[in-house]
Amino acid sequence: MAYRISVDTGGTFTDIVVATSDGALHIGKALTSETRAFTGIEAGLAQVASELGVGAREILAEAEVLTYGTTRATNAIVEQKTARTAFFTTAGFPEILLLREGGKPDPFRHIPFPKPYIPRHLTWEIDERVDSEGDVYRPLDEESVVRALDAAGDVGCEAVAVCLLWSILNPMHELRIGEIIRERLPSTPFTLSHELNPVVREYRRASSTAIDASLKPLMQSYVTKLEEDLREAGFSGHLLIATSYGGSWRPADIVAKPAYSVGSGPSMAPVAAVTYAETDLETDNVIVCDTGGTTFDVGLISGGSINYTAETWLGGRWVGHITGLRSVDVKSIGAGGGSIAWLDPGGLLRVGPHSAGADPGPAWYGQGGTAPTVTDAAVVLGYLEPTQFLGGRLALDVNAARSAIQTIATPLGMSVEEAASSALVVSVENIVAAIREITIAQGIDPREVAIVAGGGASGLTIGQIARELGCREVLVPRTAGALSACGAMYSDVVTEFSTAHYAETREFPVATVNDVLDDLGRRADGFLADLDDIDPPEVRKEFSVDARYRSQVWELPIDLPVERFDEQSGASDLEQAFHEQHERVFAVREEGQYLECLIWKCRAIARLASPAMAPIEDGAGTAIVSDHGEAFFRGMDFVDTPRYDGGTLPQGTEIHGPAILREPTTTVVVYPGSTLRVTGFGNYVLKIDTTTAARTERR
Amino acid sequence: MANFDPVLLSVIANRLDSIVREMENTLLRSGRSAVLNMARDFSCAIITGDNRLIASAEGLPVHVIGMEYLAEAMTDLHDDLAPGDAFLHNDPYLGNTHAADHTILVPVFVEGKHLFTAAAKAHQADCGNARPTTYMPYARDVYEEGALIFPAVRVHRDYEEVRDIIRMCQRRIRVPDQWYGDFLAQVGAARIGEARLTELSEKYGADTIERFIEEWFDYSERRMIHVIEHLPAGTIVGEGRHDPFGPVPDGIPITVKITVDPEDAMVELDLTDNIDCLAAGVNESRTCAMNNVMTGLFNSIDPDIPHNAGTFRRVRVKLRENSVVGVPRFPHSCSVATTNVGERLVVTTQRTFADAWEGYGLAEGACGIGPGFAVVSGEDRRRDGSPYVNQKFLGSQGGPAGPDIDGWLTYGNAVTNGLMFRDSVEIDEQKYPIRIDEMRIREDSEGAGYRRGAPGTRVTYGPKWDTMTAAYVTDNHHFPPQGTRGGGDGAPSIAFKVLVDGSEVSLEPIAQVDLAPGELLGQLLSGGGYGDPLEREPELVRDDVLSRFVSFERARDVYGVVFEAEVLTDVLTVVAKLTAARRDELQVGEGAQ
Repeated sequence: MAYRISVDTGGTFTDIVVATSDGALHIGKALTSETRAFTGIEAGLAQVASELGVGAREILAEAEVLTYGTTRATNAIVEQKTARTAFFTTAGFPEILLLREGGKPDPFRHIPFPKPYIPRHLTWEIDERVDSEGDVYRPLDEESVVRALDAAGDVGCEAVAVCLLWSILNPMHELRIGEIIRERLPSTPFTLSHELNPVVREYRRASSTAIDASLKPLMQSYVTKLEEDLREAGFSGHLLIATSYGGSWRPADIVAKPAYSVGSGPSMAPVAAVTYAETDLETDNVIVCDTGGTTFDVGLISGGSINYTAETWLGGRWVGHITGLRSVDVKSIGAGGGSIAWLDPGGLLRVGPHSAGADPGPAWYGQGGTAPTVTDAAVVLGYLEPTQFLGGRLALDVNAARSAIQTIATPLGMSVEEAASSALVVSVENIVAAIREITIAQGIDPREVAIVAGGGASGLTIGQIARELGCREVLVPRTAGALSACGAMYSDVVTEFSTAHYAETREFPVATVNDVLDDLGRRADGFLADLDDIDPPEVRKEFSVDARYRSQVWELPIDLPVERFDEQSGASDLEQAFHEQHERVFAVREEGQYLECLIWKCRAIARLASPAMAPIEDGAGTAIVSDHGEAFFRGMDFVDTPRYDGGTLPQGTEIHGPAILREPTTTVVVYPGSTLRVTGFGNYVLKIDTTTAARTERR
Repeated sequence: MANFDPVLLSVIANRLDSIVREMENTLLRSGRSAVLNMARDFSCAIITGDNRLIASAEGLPVHVIGMEYLAEAMTDLHDDLAPGDAFLHNDPYLGNTHAADHTILVPVFVEGKHLFTAAAKAHQADCGNARPTTYMPYARDVYEEGALIFPAVRVHRDYEEVRDIIRMCQRRIRVPDQWYGDFLAQVGAARIGEARLTELSEKYGADTIERFIEEWFDYSERRMIHVIEHLPAGTIVGEGRHDPFGPVPDGIPITVKITVDPEDAMVELDLTDNIDCLAAGVNESRTCAMNNVMTGLFNSIDPDIPHNAGTFRRVRVKLRENSVVGVPRFPHSCSVATTNVGERLVVTTQRTFADAWEGYGLAEGACGIGPGFAVVSGEDRRRDGSPYVNQKFLGSQGGPAGPDIDGWLTYGNAVTNGLMFRDSVEIDEQKYPIRIDEMRIREDSEGAGYRRGAPGTRVTYGPKWDTMTAAYVTDNHHFPPQGTRGGGDGAPSIAFKVLVDGSEVSLEPIAQVDLAPGELLGQLLSGGGYGDPLEREPELVRDDVLSRFVSFERARDVYGVVFEAEVLTDVLTVVAKLTAARRDELQVGEGAQ
């Protein structure tokens, strides 16, 4: 039996998904060990093994591919546990990492100015300067490099990040600095900005370079140890590591460019959603939601393609650190199951941004938490039951939840249930406003798309969220509790090569651009050839360019209509493609305007053999009620609500709300007016009646 | 509140803010000029049909407070408002900020009733002034200023453009394509607001929305009452002064009288005791006088309160006709009303608050459009000598310290309050034929304090091959940003030129200069401190030293912090005993003065 395994190591839990050759997915969940990835994998695998009635070692021995995603790099950055790193930059510009790109979240809120990723006292100015045309304006003073290296060595730097102005046009000085580092500090890892991320805008390039260098010592030992542990446990298949690009790499590649593992976990949720949308939804325009305890992640799929961004920030837009790398666009909203409801001095009910976190956690945890949270509201309303949470592994303290909600109910002059239901409405409204802004900024109308919802707590309110967005269809996969790990299961090996070469389409230098594209193509071919032993069923290359209208500030990535330009038609097809993309994103086009092309790229994709989804039994739509219980719905008070157990329902089953569906790792509330259908693959589709929204809300 | 669903109150209020943000995103994404894209010099707002400001999200206070006057001009001048209308309004004598801020107003009708006005205001790259700049400090009057003025003029009827007006603008505004692109972006934003407000009103019904409006104003007023009730009572008079230049050799004095009455829960901001209008472009419009002094107030109190007509019921602003910071008498020019004297109003008000009441207010921050933010122009030989002209946003101007927080480093100026973006060195060098030589923190420029002001930056840049012209309107050279409650002033701003031989010469604070290849233009601006620097935690001073914000000498002489060995690595250690002694010594010195 051949298996494919995927793993998502989060800060608290490690999710494991094992696909058997018939395509069935089996999920394990275990606690994460910060220092050794294998500890969590082993424990999770044991759960799956006992479910399958085989040994964990057996699964490992027969697994062909294991795809591994981790928040290790992200957490190390957030917790400031990365290597002590030196920053080398062009003389005159030591404050690139401090000043960032400006911007502030709120004009009136006084917040401290954030510190740079690498402090000033570990920053060294290198005497050199390349111009915007790639000419050397000031030659490299090698003495300044040697002095910097000695000083960095003296203060115990374990890695070096090198980012010089315009190195993307002329990398000579950065390359020479690399040689000098190898000579003088041979065991110290370093990153050259033009090699890691050849983009214009010095802050973005410097930030990715600094992040990358600082992760090298840590990720090298982490990944090496994982590989050793797996081999020792009998694994002989291919180990692949998930990247922020929504694909995966060989371990050696991620060790060489560890910045690409930052955010790799969340980037996999949209990959899973693409797969599920193909099988279970009729649209290929999807909002992907993944709910956690403190955040609500939102990704977008338009026309079957995942949305990417070059603006991923760790620690908040403008005030954190940008990764600067093109990655799956996943935006975090500060609203989760642990968000706290409170009354402001004007008597208005608010939810968040404060969260109860894991300790003491929501009141129902029974660990001493007294603040009313979103999940406390769900407990009070009867959506979460005392004995059913996490398959009965965690018992609920209903009384604690009630007294927490009482603290807002009394001043509001409401019953506890009304207050709980109000808190959910406000929480939903926060999320709806944020999703609306995210989708509309991408030119997507939320009313014309479907939602794929993941995360343990998402099923509680996703029906309300969809209704308020005007979204008629929600897919909740059975594996919602491990959406990212499932995504890794379906991911491909993807990498991108890029070259900065400025060109204008009005006097388009066809031959030069073709040389650039040829070179990119050769590098991509080399990468794909190296994957021979994995034997991917399909490989392909995609070319693109970052371009903008003359004198615009921001670029748009455009897929090239051709692999090489011909002298005859020049760049006219490219211009046409740009006009269309610009109109889609910005609602306007400037016919007749020429383009400024900045960065040329080639994406190399090797599709892996991913398991086909397994259909479930056809039961001619018979719904089997497991039991009944009271649940509170807005405008209806308490009503008798049937409860269903997920695993028992055959395909085609339809359940009309109000109803509650229980899965071991998630609970789905089917609100009145909505219908839940079990798909052919055992997932759940909620059909939302969006016309009832106003009526129920207006009471 | 008893008869209005409190949850619905929260939901609709949230939805209105969300609509404003959607309008702003539309404007940011589709706008053409750098002023829009980079400086983010625009704001959107929703006003009720009876001309009260209700929602403004996180808009620039200098833009949004007073938007109701624009809507008022529209309803006063036109008795035939209809769906499909849009109006262009930039008249500073009828409620606008200054002529360069074009505002598009769209009345929104629900069930036949004018329920809202959606407004989108943006600073234009050009507004047809006599010179190629939107800042005309030397203009003696509106005629010399030369801007085209539109007193709420209809530019759309039945959703179609009134082409006469568009053609007028295209004839008299420089780079007409750029103007028209920004115009379309603004109309787009206002129309998005109209569509969303219509959807919202249809969902809940006009009755519910009208009841919501009153409830929301009452709620906002309660929030403001709550804030004022906790302020200390009293009256204080604060004074500030704009730097001298050409027509005003002594500078421009500003007097703000603040009265806080917690018992009646009212704040009064009195600007009546100020000089008459000047024959220069620096006069405040009525809206700017009001919103800048109010920004100073809102900078000084709880940031969480809504900023709308309900809140404003608790603020009384007193203005005098024909005053430089009051109601301008036609035809006095208000060309630079949003910056310069306007910024001085903001910082003087917040610093006066801080002077009077411990724990409230802020020190003063950097004011003006310094050389790092200059409008540069010339010809680019890389593009066959084609002309370029644009405003750049290089470096930073430092923000003021508050009771708990150090100044914001990329503050920009008092009216953008940190929201502004900063140019990339590489992008600027690619777009214009310039070389940026240096950009670093100016050491020891911060206003010292228990909480320090943000230091300024030293930025130098110049043309690569051919002469470049740069225009800027700085302040804070003669009168640097003041500290408060024992905090030090920020270092004075200096506009300077580096000659080819490397020597530096200083330049006029407000000027238009030509630079030859090899010459560089530079600036240095910073923010004032809050509280006694001798009370700053020594570890924070250590951080500042390691960040090269503060030199060892200044740490010792101004902050009274002594280190074991003066090394710039993290072994740097504060010697507690010597620091205490040094601080005692400095305290005695201070007492003796």
